[in-house]
Amino acid sequence: MIGMIMFVAALFLLMLGFPVAFTFGGVALFFGVFAEGMDLFAFMPYRIMSVMQNTVLMAVPLFIFMGVVLQRTRLAEQLLTSMGRLFGGLPGGLAISTILVGALLAASTGVVGASVVAMGLISLPVMLAHDYDKRLATGTICAAGTLGQIVPPSIILIILGDVLGLPVGDLFKAAVIPGVVLVGLYIFYILILTRFQPQMAPAMPDDSGLSRKKEILAALLAIIPPLALIVVVLGSIFAGIATPTESSALGGIGAIVLAIIYRQFSFKMVWDASKDTVKVTAMVFAILVGATAFSMVFSYTGGDYLLEEWLLQLPGEKWGFIILAMLVILILGFFIDFVEISFIIVPILAPVAEAMGINMLWFAILIAMNLQTSFLTPPFGFSLFYLKGVSPAGVRTTDIYKGVLPFILMQVFVLAMIVIFPEWFGMSASY
Amino acid sequence: QETFTLRLAETWGPNFPIFGDTTKNFAERVEKMSDGRLKVRIDSANKHKAPLGVFDMVKAGQYDMGHSASYYWKGKVPNTLFFTSMPFGMNAMEQYAWFYHGGGMELMQEVYEPHNMLSFPGGNTGVQMGGWFRKEINSLEDLEGLKMRIPGFAGEVFAEVGVNPTNIPPGELYTSLERNTIDAVEWVGPALDLRLGFQQIADYYYTGWHEPATELQFLVNKKVWEELPADLQEIMRIAMRTASYDMLVHSQHANAEAWDTIQEDYPNVQIKQFPQEIFQTMYEANEKLLDEAASADEQAARIVKSQEEYLEKSRAYTNISERAYLNTMAEVE
Amino acid sequence: MRWIIKLDHGLAWLSIFCGWVACAAMILMAGNVFYDVVARYAFNEVSIGMQEMEWHLYSVVFLLGIPYALRTDGHVRVDVFYTRWSDKTKAWVNIVGAVLFVIPFSYLIWNYGYNFAVESYSMGEGSGDPGGLPHRWIIKSVIPISAVFTGIAGVNMVTFAIRVISGEKTYEPKHGAEGLA
Ligand code: NA
Ligand code: NA
Repeated sequence: MIGMIMFVAALFLLMLGFPVAFTFGGVALFFGVFAEGMDLFAFMPYRIMSVMQNTVLMAVPLFIFMGVVLQRTRLAEQLLTSMGRLFGGLPGGLAISTILVGALLAASTGVVGASVVAMGLISLPVMLAHDYDKRLATGTICAAGTLGQIVPPSIILIILGDVLGLPVGDLFKAAVIPGVVLVGLYIFYILILTRFQPQMAPAMPDDSGLSRKKEILAALLAIIPPLALIVVVLGSIFAGIATPTESSALGGIGAIVLAIIYRQFSFKMVWDASKDTVKVTAMVFAILVGATAFSMVFSYTGGDYLLEEWLLQLPGEKWGFIILAMLVILILGFFIDFVEISFIIVPILAPVAEAMGINMLWFAILIAMNLQTSFLTPPFGFSLFYLKGVSPAGVRTTDIYKGVLPFILMQVFVLAMIVIFPEWFGMSASY
Repeated sequence: QETFTLRLAETWGPNFPIFGDTTKNFAERVEKMSDGRLKVRIDSANKHKAPLGVFDMVKAGQYDMGHSASYYWKGKVPNTLFFTSMPFGMNAMEQYAWFYHGGGMELMQEVYEPHNMLSFPGGNTGVQMGGWFRKEINSLEDLEGLKMRIPGFAGEVFAEVGVNPTNIPPGELYTSLERNTIDAVEWVGPALDLRLGFQQIADYYYTGWHEPATELQFLVNKKVWEELPADLQEIMRIAMRTASYDMLVHSQHANAEAWDTIQEDYPNVQIKQFPQEIFQTMYEANEKLLDEAASADEQAARIVKSQEEYLEKSRAYTNISERAYLNTMAEVE
Repeated sequence: MRWIIKLDHGLAWLSIFCGWVACAAMILMAGNVFYDVVARYAFNEVSIGMQEMEWHLYSVVFLLGIPYALRTDGHVRVDVFYTRWSDKTKAWVNIVGAVLFVIPFSYLIWNYGYNFAVESYSMGEGSGDPGGLPHRWIIKSVIPISAVFTGIAGVNMVTFAIRVISGEKTYEPKHGAEGLA
C-alpha cells in the first residue's frame, strides 16, 4: 500500500516544480525511512553502481554529444531545413524530416533517453524558429525519439526475449513492420493535420531567386554531409565496426570532423559542447537515480508482491485476458519503468498467455509497443521529462503533455490493429 | 516456537530458468521440512539491482543469504575463483567428491571465513559449451586475434593463445555477434543459449573445456547462521545439498531437451571440437597461469595442489568407469 | 547579506569545478570509445582495461554532472505552476526542496556510499576480468564524492534562494537548448 500512496504523493509534489529527480529521490527517502528505516538506503550505492556499469547507457552522453555538436555547428539546422525544403510548399516538412531522422536514429540505438534528447537538441530549435506550433513540435520529437524502443536494435526487445525465452532475432524481425507502420502513420498524421491547419507547421520559405529544380539540388547537396554522418553511425553498426553504443561515439567524433570541414571547429566549441552534454546527461541520469530510489522503496515495502497478487486475478479467457493485460501494462507504464514491468509483470502474465495458446512472439510485440507508449504518457513519461530538460524557456510541461496526446492515440491504435489483425504485421495470434 | 525468515539475494533475474529454480526449490524445501519455522524470501536481481553485489550484501548483513557463483568474486577475493569450475579441471561428479570428501569444503570455508560468510555448493550446470563461433577454428592461427566474449579465468587462458577477450554488455551480444563486431560468444549451454538466439546467427557450436563443472554457491552470513538452532541449520544443509543435486539433474534434462530443439529447428548448427593442438597449447597456458597464482599466494598454492591431486586420483577411476563405459557405447553404436 | 553572497559564490565554485571535471571526462570518454573501436576494428587489438575505462569515465560524467546541473538549473522541473510563480515563491520552493529532499538524500548516499567505497578499498577490489583495471575503490568512491558535492549544491540552492528573496538576484527564465551551460 505504501507504494501506492507514494505515487500519489510524488504526483502532487512534482507539480510544485522542484526538480523531478530530487522530488522522486526525496519522496522515496521519506516513505522508505518511515517504512523500513534508514538502512534501506544501504542498497542505493549498489543501484547507482548498476547504472554506472550499464555500459549500454553510455550511448546517452555520446548521442547527446553528437546532437550538441551538430546543433552548435548549425549542421543539424542545415539538415532539417534542407529536408524541409525538399517538401517545397508543403507545410509540415520539418516535422516529417524530424520523424525520418528520428527513425534513423532509432535504428542505431535502443536507448530512449539518448534519442529523445538528441532529437530535442537537433530539431526543436529549428522547428520553433520556423514558427511551428509548440505542441506539434514537442509531440513529434517525443514520439520520433521514442521510436528507438520498437525499431531494432532495441533494449526492450532484448529484455523481453530473455524474460519470455524467445530468440532475439525473431523479435527484431517481428518488430520491423510495426515500427515502419508507426513511422508511416506519424507522417500521415502530419500531412493530414497540416492540410487543415497549415499555420501549425508552416512550409519552408522559398529560397528566393532559385528555380524549383535548383532549389531541390541545393537542398540535396546540403543534406549530404549530415546525412553521411548518420550513415556512418548506422553503417558502423551494420558493418560490425562498432556496437550500437560505440557507434554513438563515432557519431560525436564524426560531427567534429564535419565541423572541421565546414570551418566551424574551435576548441572552445568542443568544450562548450561538452559542457552542454554534461548538463543534459546529468539531468537524464539524476532522473534515473531518483527513479531507482523510488522503485527500491516501492518493491522493498511489498509493492511488488501486491502487484503480483493483483495480476493473478486476471480473467482466464483469451481476449479478456489480452485486453486487460494490455490495459494493466499501459496503466502501470504511467508509473513504473519498463525494466520493472518486463521483469515483474511479464513473467506473471507469460505462463497464463502460453497456457492459452497465445503466440508468444505476438504477445511480446504487443508488450513492447505498449511499453513504448508508456514513455510518452503523462505524468511520469520519461521522454517527456527528457525533452522538457532540453527545451527553451517558452516550452512548458503542459505543451509537451498536450503535444504527445495524438501520438499516444496513434500508438494505441496501432497496438489495437496488431491485436485484431496480427497477420497484417506478419504475425499470428496463436500457434 | 520461534520462526525465522531469511532474506536471500540471488544473482539471477526473476524466473531465470534452472539457476532460479534452484533457490525456489531450496526455499520450498526448507519451509516444508521445518514445518514453517524457517522461511526464505528470495529477491532476484531486478529487486536488489546488484547481481554482482551479492557477496558484499551478504557480508554486510543486508541479506542473510545469497545464491551466486564463487568466481564472480575473483576481483574482490582472488581465491574464491577456484570453487566454481577450473579450465581442464574436474567434472561435476569428481568436483562434488572433492567438495564433500576431498577437503574442498574446508578450503572453501577457509577462504570465506574472513568475510563472515559460509559458502555451500549450490547447484551445477555440468560441462558448459565452449561457445558460438561464426567461423570454423582449425588451427592456432584461426584463434589469433579472434574477438570473443569470454569472461574470467578462461578468458585469460584464451588470451594466452592469442584470442582477444572482449567485454560486450549482454544486451548487445546478439547484435554484436550478428554483425561480426565480435567473432564468438561463450554463454552457458543449450538450455540458456537457446534463449539468446545465438543459433540463428552462428553455425559452429564448440564443445567445452573451460568450465567442466560450473558450481553455483549458497552464501550464508555467519552471524545469521550461528543464530539458527541446530536442527534448522541441519535442515538448511540438507535443503542446499538436495537443491544442488536437483539442479545438476535439471541441467542435464533441460540441456538435452534444448539440444534436441536446436538439432530439429536449426540444421545449420554444427558441433565442433578444437583440434588437439589448440587444446594442448591452452592446457599448457592454463598450467602456467595456475603456477603463477600458486607461487603468488600460499592459500592459492594449497587449493591448486588439493585440486590437482584430487583430479589425478579421481580421474584414474573415472577413466576405468565412466570413460570406459562411454567408449564402449561409442563402439557399440 | 554580504557573507551570504560570498558563501553563495564559494559554493557555486565547487559545483562549477565538478562540471569542469565532468567535461574533461566527457571528452576523454568520447576519445576512449573511438580509440577502442578503431583499435579493435583496424588493428584487431582489444584492451579490457581500456574498455573498462569507458564506463569509469562515463560514471564520472554523470555523477559529477549532477551537482553542476543543480547549480546551473539544468535539472528538469514540471512547470505547470512553477513558471507562473513569483521569484519569491520559487525561492521558497527551492529552499524547502533543498532542505527536505536534496540535502537528506545526498546525506544518505554519502553515508552508505562511503562504506561501499571503504569496503572495496579494504578488500583491494579490482576487475575480475583479465587485463581489467585495478583499484575499483577509486571509481566506487565517486559515488560518495558526488553525494557530498550534490549536498553542497543543495546548500547552494538555499543561499541563492536567499539572495533572490532579498531582491538582489532573480531566477533567469532561460534554460534549455538555447542557453545551456
Ligand atoms: Na532501436
Ligand atoms: Na509513463
